[in-house]
Amino acid sequence: MSEVIVITSGKGGVGKTTTTANIGTGLALLGYRVCLIDTDIGLRNLDVVMGLENRIIYNLVDVVEGNCRMKQALIKDKRYPNLYLLPSAQTRDKTSVSPGQMQKLTENLRDDFDYILLDCPAGIERGFQNAIAGADRAVVVTTPEVSAIRDADRIIGLLEGAQITQIDLIVNRIRMDMVRRGDMMSVDDVADILAIPVIGAVPDDETIVISTNQGEPLVDTACTAGQAFYTICRRITGEEIPLMDLERQQGILIRISQFLKRA
Amino acid sequence: MRQFFLFYKGNSGEIARNRLKLALISDETQVTPGLIEMIRGDLIDVISRYADFDPGQVELRMSRDTCSDDVLPALCARIPIRQFTRLRNE
Repeated sequence: MSEVIVITSGKGGVGKTTTTANIGTGLALLGYRVCLIDTDIGLRNLDVVMGLENRIIYNLVDVVEGNCRMKQALIKDKRYPNLYLLPSAQTRDKTSVSPGQMQKLTENLRDDFDYILLDCPAGIERGFQNAIAGADRAVVVTTPEVSAIRDADRIIGLLEGAQITQIDLIVNRIRMDMVRRGDMMSVDDVADILAIPVIGAVPDDETIVISTNQGEPLVDTACTAGQAFYTICRRITGEEIPLMDLERQQGILIRISQFLKRA
Repeated sequence: MRQFFLFYKGNSGEIARNRLKLALISDETQVTPGLIEMIRGDLIDVISRYADFDPGQVELRMSRDTCSDDVLPALCARIPIRQFTRLRNE
């Protein structure tokens, strides 16, 4: 059985692409056959975040237009078992592909993959409509900010309108020190407002910036963000494990210094 | 600015939450602040036929109705009344 999951947010810059890269890599590490599709035509980025930008020959639009076969366009990530990327086209725009064509494209991949992850562009226009066309379920990424949550609320409404019933939430870039002093909405606050189940929370971690610089997803590393993504991957597969406890992930020295500051 | 930081206790998360809740209600219902003002004007006209009150004290805002299981948008009005005039006249 294969699942097509769209990763979306409405607002740009909240971490859709990083989330797609890390969830895809994590699912491949768990032994699933995974295909990542960058649906952001004209602004492709998943390839650089994955570190596969030098291996692109064909792209999504080439496949849709019949310039190549699907197998020729899929890039195999040699670092992980069974992880493939279908890159987006950089010199075209969103109207090059229709929702119907996207639906057909994802349908054709179902036989070969367990999970097909669609990295959705920002916005609610054609690019978004293309990305959700073939999706069975959705993961909405937001940050604990007013603008991102408002956009997420709108996106959830549109997904429900498109008959996508399973919608899960990832709260990205959470800073527990700010939540503790009341200057940031907590994961519970965000979940309460958006009223959809939380599948994971990812701390604001500088290792994410480093991993993106290097083009290497950090899902298999020991840092807090890496562990958070790994937990999310296991929850996506249906494993019933609790959310990662962000409070307990901090080092002992940080916690002592915070204790002293408060005293 | 420095004073601001010295006395700053930290509660902007709460402010964000409340602002967001109101913004989402207004997005959902498409009730704009302008429309609220129009309703307020009409409401003052109607209530003033029956009671004596200060129109400046009338509070009208969108909220959520938490009484029912199905959370619906609710229009909340607060109108402090000095005296009900209609009762006296009859």
